[in-house]
Amino acid sequence: MKTLVMGIGNILRGDDGIGAAVIDALQGDALPEHIDLLDAGTPGFELVLIMQDYDYVVVVDAADMGYEPGEWRMFTPDEVKLQAGDLYLRGTLHYAGLAEALNLGEALGTLTAKIDIIGVQPATIDWQQGLSDPVAMTIAPICQAVLNLVQHVDPA
Amino acid sequence: MSRLKINVHHLTRVEGHGNIVVDVQDGNLKQCELQIVETPRFFEAMLRDKPYGDASHIVSRICGICAVGHATASLRATENALGVELSEQTVLLRKLMMHGEIMDSHILHAYMLVAPDFLGVGSVIPLAKSAPDVVLRALRMKKVAGDLCAMIAGRHTHPIAMTVGGFTHFPREDELLALRERLVAMRADNQATLDLFASLELPDFVRDTEYIALSGTGEYTFIDGVIASTDGVTKPIADYRTVTNEIVVPHSSAKHTAHLRESYMVGALARFNVNYDVLHPKAREAADALGLTPKVINPFLNTVAQVVEIVHCTEDAIDIIDYLVDKGVFWEEPAEPTRDYGTGSGGVEVPRGVLFHEYTIEAGKIVGANCVIPTGQNLGNIDRDMRKLVPEILDQPKEDITHSLEMLVRAYDPCISCSTHILNVEFVNE
Repeated sequence: MKTLVMGIGNILRGDDGIGAAVIDALQGDALPEHIDLLDAGTPGFELVLIMQDYDYVVVVDAADMGYEPGEWRMFTPDEVKLQAGDLYLRGTLHYAGLAEALNLGEALGTLTAKIDIIGVQPATIDWQQGLSDPVAMTIAPICQAVLNLVQHVDPA
Repeated sequence: MSRLKINVHHLTRVEGHGNIVVDVQDGNLKQCELQIVETPRFFEAMLRDKPYGDASHIVSRICGICAVGHATASLRATENALGVELSEQTVLLRKLMMHGEIMDSHILHAYMLVAPDFLGVGSVIPLAKSAPDVVLRALRMKKVAGDLCAMIAGRHTHPIAMTVGGFTHFPREDELLALRERLVAMRADNQATLDLFASLELPDFVRDTEYIALSGTGEYTFIDGVIASTDGVTKPIADYRTVTNEIVVPHSSAKHTAHLRESYMVGALARFNVNYDVLHPKAREAADALGLTPKVINPFLNTVAQVVEIVHCTEDAIDIIDYLVDKGVFWEEPAEPTRDYGTGSGGVEVPRGVLFHEYTIEAGKIVGANCVIPTGQNLGNIDRDMRKLVPEILDQPKEDITHSLEMLVRAYDPCISCSTHILNVEFVNE
């Protein structure tokens, strides 16, 4: 399975940088060659194009789940409501990029990848560089979780 | 007493957040404005005390859509501050990058944000179901534009190979030729885009204003040149503050700008009005076919000007690639600064209009930074358009007035805040 581990978020907005931080930390790990790493930044609908090239995508992103800052959880798009109504009411190109890209990819039938999302509850997403302490502490366990997810993926 | 109040919170399909507020009492317009609730006020703090070489990489993260534009404006400000002279190859590769970004953004705006309004489907998701070929065409075009940027600078969002004085990575001849072939193949999709926008009935609304764009490079200008106005004034980029004249207004946390009139417009329509004479001949043909002749004073036609620019950038990118292949692209060291201090400004036409960065550098570190974004320059003009439009359509139902105002704001393609990608998640079984 062609596999992508992708961090999403803006490193200039506090804990929204968790995706990039996890990808950065994973660069040092010996990942199998068939697994790509991508710090995708804030790609919007670009995600439709990125994801259509893969069979399996692991996404790391800040997520408002109503938890305490630094709590994180793994889920699939099917298990959650990703504010799917956004596009009709207050959707923007940028605001909920992953949710909208998943909707669009599904509507077009171009999204065939299996997707796992690791969501991290942020403490702050104001304009500032650097992660809060509780979110920075999630980097190591999330890297381990990603390695567990991808280590048995069939390279073929 | 009759009273019409419209308050559109978090205007949809615009990047960031904006509220439209309209208050009409007994036929008199009491209030009509675009309220901005969020804007980045962090720019200088983000760059202060950083080595100058870091600046373009930091600012490229401000926006996923204008990553190349912010990086280029940043590099030009730094290069002007430190006395860096660029090679012809660097100038051409940067132009190609900007062409890619302009196309990418315009395609998204025209197809994902504007077309659904006129095709009566509300948003791109139902459009993907009712006319998947249209949305797939947009994504196909977007992929060519993104790959053009990726070929030169690693990737589109956050172009890592762009650096002060040049590049750290160069495209191979076979990559350039493969991309050229895809640009040639994209002409059919460009034509289909022109046909689509020729078939849409855009609102018949006009309001003359001042249009401002970079110009004076002998070509349809995206980088450097001078600041030119349709009211007949040109100024060097270093004097940008005498054009923007930023002012604080009560209803917006973003500053407004004004030059010779109460407000001015930047963006594709302003560029078209200022630089029509130097459009690529094929883009002029496209403009003629769409009936677009300067000076165009209907802001709804900004999207049509964007479609013309898609054609321009495609054709000019083909020409630049031909020139580069003919000369050969060579690995070269970035041009060196001649000093480690100074003040400099950079002006770049990004998809939404002219963007200015200005840095002061001492001993190789940034000690002062300023940035004026295109959407900030358009806010005052949007307010004045709305104040003229509302009385003209006051006999229509409230929903139609609201929709017209939303479409007007969307036509400017505003990027009101540079937002996060945080997911809003609700677990189904809890």
